[in-house]
Amino acid sequence: MNELSPILVLEVTVRTLAVCGLALAASLVIGLPIGVWLGRRRFRGRVLGVSLVNSGMGAPPVVVGLLVSMLFWRSGPFGFLEWMYTPTAMVIAQVVIALPLVVGITLAAVGALDEDWELQARTLGIPPLYRAWLLLREIRLGVLAAVIAALGGILSEVGAVLAVGGNLAGETRVLTTAILMYTQMGEFELALAMASVLLGLTLVLAGALTVVQQGGRS
Amino acid sequence: MGRVSRLLVLGLALLPLASAAEDSVLLATTTSVRDSGLLDALLPGFTQETGIRVRVVAVGTGAVLRMGAEGNADLLLTHAPTAEEELVASGAVSKRTPFMENHFVIAGAPEDLAGVADAASPEDAFRRIASRPAPYVSRGDDSGTHKREVALLKAAGLEPESGWMGFATTGAGMGVTLQVAGERKAYTLSDIGTFLAFREVTGLVALSKAASSLRNVYALLRVSPERFPRVRAEAAERLEAFFLERSTQERIKSFGRERFGRSLFRPLRLE
Repeated sequence: MNELSPILVLEVTVRTLAVCGLALAASLVIGLPIGVWLGRRRFRGRVLGVSLVNSGMGAPPVVVGLLVSMLFWRSGPFGFLEWMYTPTAMVIAQVVIALPLVVGITLAAVGALDEDWELQARTLGIPPLYRAWLLLREIRLGVLAAVIAALGGILSEVGAVLAVGGNLAGETRVLTTAILMYTQMGEFELALAMASVLLGLTLVLAGALTVVQQGGRS
Repeated sequence: MGRVSRLLVLGLALLPLASAAEDSVLLATTTSVRDSGLLDALLPGFTQETGIRVRVVAVGTGAVLRMGAEGNADLLLTHAPTAEEELVASGAVSKRTPFMENHFVIAGAPEDLAGVADAASPEDAFRRIASRPAPYVSRGDDSGTHKREVALLKAAGLEPESGWMGFATTGAGMGVTLQVAGERKAYTLSDIGTFLAFREVTGLVALSKAASSLRNVYALLRVSPERFPRVRAEAAERLEAFFLERSTQERIKSFGRERFGRSLFRPLRLE
């Protein structure tokens, strides 16, 4: 019934890369600034903020999937958007899961910086935007750790993505949901083939990021 | 930074448009129906004929019924007659149309220590299993299969809640449940399709004879457009008509022969 078709695997893989890539980009764009801000600023309630972020890192993806579903079902408050069972909902769910990871790791990296760094940079008259860029470079190791952690979480995510995406053939099926489906059907060869692709992808991407992260060191 | 975020928002906004633009219908069905492969075989023909895309969401029976009750799907394909009739009575579903059937099987290890193969009826089979007591694995997930199991146990005079020594509950799908039963050389109730798909890996055999209490009827349920205005009623009606038309019913009749050497379903609308 199900033959191992390269086109099938390719289609699912391309979608996986698109959805996960978009989710990763969004998590970084939103999460890095928040992480830097939380890492630097001292304010009342900071501990609460950081605790929420740290709890968020442990939030079960299947719970995120349920909550996001409840928002986007036709019967839900955002049902009019008709985003249920679309890649958009999948990206949103993945961002919700990955964001605490990005923020948490970044703020820890920033927190490890020398307290005088900010002062020195300002004294030297470096403009704010360039200062932010230099800061990111300074905590490069930490930022890349956040990227790798977020990437891992996003690529391996199945529960939330299945709940809000529905694993629709040709629309929202990605490698993880396809593997789950084929496993449930007893089509173990097909499941293993897709699993190899996913593992290969993860290895290549994480490996590339690690090279960048460690760049220069041996 | 501004350009990047603008691009991201644009990307996010465009993604759903790609799916909303064409005509489509949301069909909610159970995992066992999806796993049989029947829809993969039939639906492309419908899309070719009508240009309507069928978006198939496969979840547990309970979730499908819930989707129907809340108008979160356009057409349901389930096999839980009592619960389906309740949906019709509540007005959430405007029409229920049985269209195909098959039989549940009581599967077990070839040794068949409880003698299920000699049982006079499925109820008698369950009594034999319980009185031995032989290991048994239940789905326990309110699926169509689980509901039938509960009904059979009650008809056999057994208490579904208490079970017996060796009675285990997976709370999971049919495949997982069959595999656990295979490992434990236990009995279980299964739909014929999943049983056949997992027969090799589990080593279980079908022991029960066909009986009316093992009859498994599949029905199409139209979610009410009066109660839920967002339902794509026209597309749902056309899809339902497709399942009932002669050529589709003929294809249902022969489906499964290639892979399993026997049909998986019996059409109900062929004269």
